[in-house]
Amino acid sequence: MRGMTKPYKFILATFSFVAALVLSLGLSMGRAEAASPAEQFIADNVQKAMGILNNTASSKDQKKTEFQNFLLGLTDIQSIGRYTLGQYRRSASPEDLTAFDAAFKEYALSVYQSYFAKYSGQSLKVTGSNQLGANDIMVKTVTVDPKKSSAKPFEVNFRVQTVNGRTMVVDFSVEGVWIRELERNDFTSYLGQKNGDVKALIAMLKQKAAQQH
Amino acid sequence: MRLLAFLVVAGVLLGGCASPADPAGVNDPYEATNREIFDFNLMVDRTFLKPTAERYQTYVPEVVRDSLRSTLDNLHAPVVVANDLLQAEASRAGTMTGRFLINSTIGLGGLIDVATGFGIESHDEDFGQTLAVWGVGDGPYLMLPLLGPSNPRDAVGRLADVGLDPVTYIKFKRHVMWEGVRMYLNIVDTRARNLETLDGIERNSLDFYATARSLYRQNRAYQIRNGMPSTDE
Repeated sequence: MRGMTKPYKFILATFSFVAALVLSLGLSMGRAEAASPAEQFIADNVQKAMGILNNTASSKDQKKTEFQNFLLGLTDIQSIGRYTLGQYRRSASPEDLTAFDAAFKEYALSVYQSYFAKYSGQSLKVTGSNQLGANDIMVKTVTVDPKKSSAKPFEVNFRVQTVNGRTMVVDFSVEGVWIRELERNDFTSYLGQKNGDVKALIAMLKQKAAQQH
Repeated sequence: MRLLAFLVVAGVLLGGCASPADPAGVNDPYEATNREIFDFNLMVDRTFLKPTAERYQTYVPEVVRDSLRSTLDNLHAPVVVANDLLQAEASRAGTMTGRFLINSTIGLGGLIDVATGFGIESHDEDFGQTLAVWGVGDGPYLMLPLLGPSNPRDAVGRLADVGLDPVTYIKFKRHVMWEGVRMYLNIVDTRARNLETLDGIERNSLDFYATARSLYRQNRAYQIRNGMPSTDE
């Protein structure tokens, strides 16, 4: 009996230490603050997106169209597109720019649609926001998987600005990777190989958009 | 420790190298070679790694995969704690120590991630990030054979992390073989978790090499800031 005491005591001590640690760490968590307008804007739109993607009454094609229309109203696609041209924006002709805007819109809608559709079983929870400038707010969210609570959440952030009196998303990121920057690197590198030929880029974007269907 | 000091110095020197004229700001002076290595890596991935990761995802049940991930992460926790301390992040080091103690005991050696259930969330750190916190620049982009996107600072960091891992110094039977198994499982599991995402990115990009480079750089910068937003731009 006496021989049992020592390891038993050790295990008990370890467990109580661990339990104390859990409590002290657990108590320091939690946050309660009123949502800012930008945070509310993202929260509302996440709800809307979930409604579209999880609507069992609509067909796959209906969902796609509905979600793309939703994205069109929510994001400033033209400004994202122009940004992705980088240094080639200045040398492009007005006609090429107009054609690029249209091709980029088609590409971005189908690509973003496919990204978000993949996560349709999950939701985003707004966790806070950062003021980046006078008219520039970053709203922070994390993924929530209702089917798997142990799933590691990842951070999805939205950059919100007021454009022509409308609140719009001008950029978004997943785990620190901003889509605008990513696409600019992609497109400008491609343009570099094609001697800055925007027409070649437009043709490629159309091809990529068609692949999604 | 002498090795670590050497690596730090090497990292500072390499990371501090001045790069030639670079109008696009991509800091990729070895792009031609990097692209060749990238193509080689993609070939290896398509031939060996991806099919293995796909089979692993299909045949190994999710519960088993999650337990394996959790065990591998738990084994890696001391390296994270060491880097947290080197970055003077005492509270993050405390969190990881807590996770390690909880998951190694109640979590049966890491098989179950009990700590996350308690709300004590995991994070990752490596010596490349520590060097960055110490002010070492990343230097030119490097595509490493088999290991993928990197730069001098992060390549040095990878080696230093082996030195920071207590498992390196525990000499048990068939040490090298078990370290190999651990590395293999880590690679296969990580690849399996990114199957869909990487497929999507490759399909949607016009220049996969340039997209992967931006992806790596942006994500690394985010990890170095510990997820805090960038202060510039």
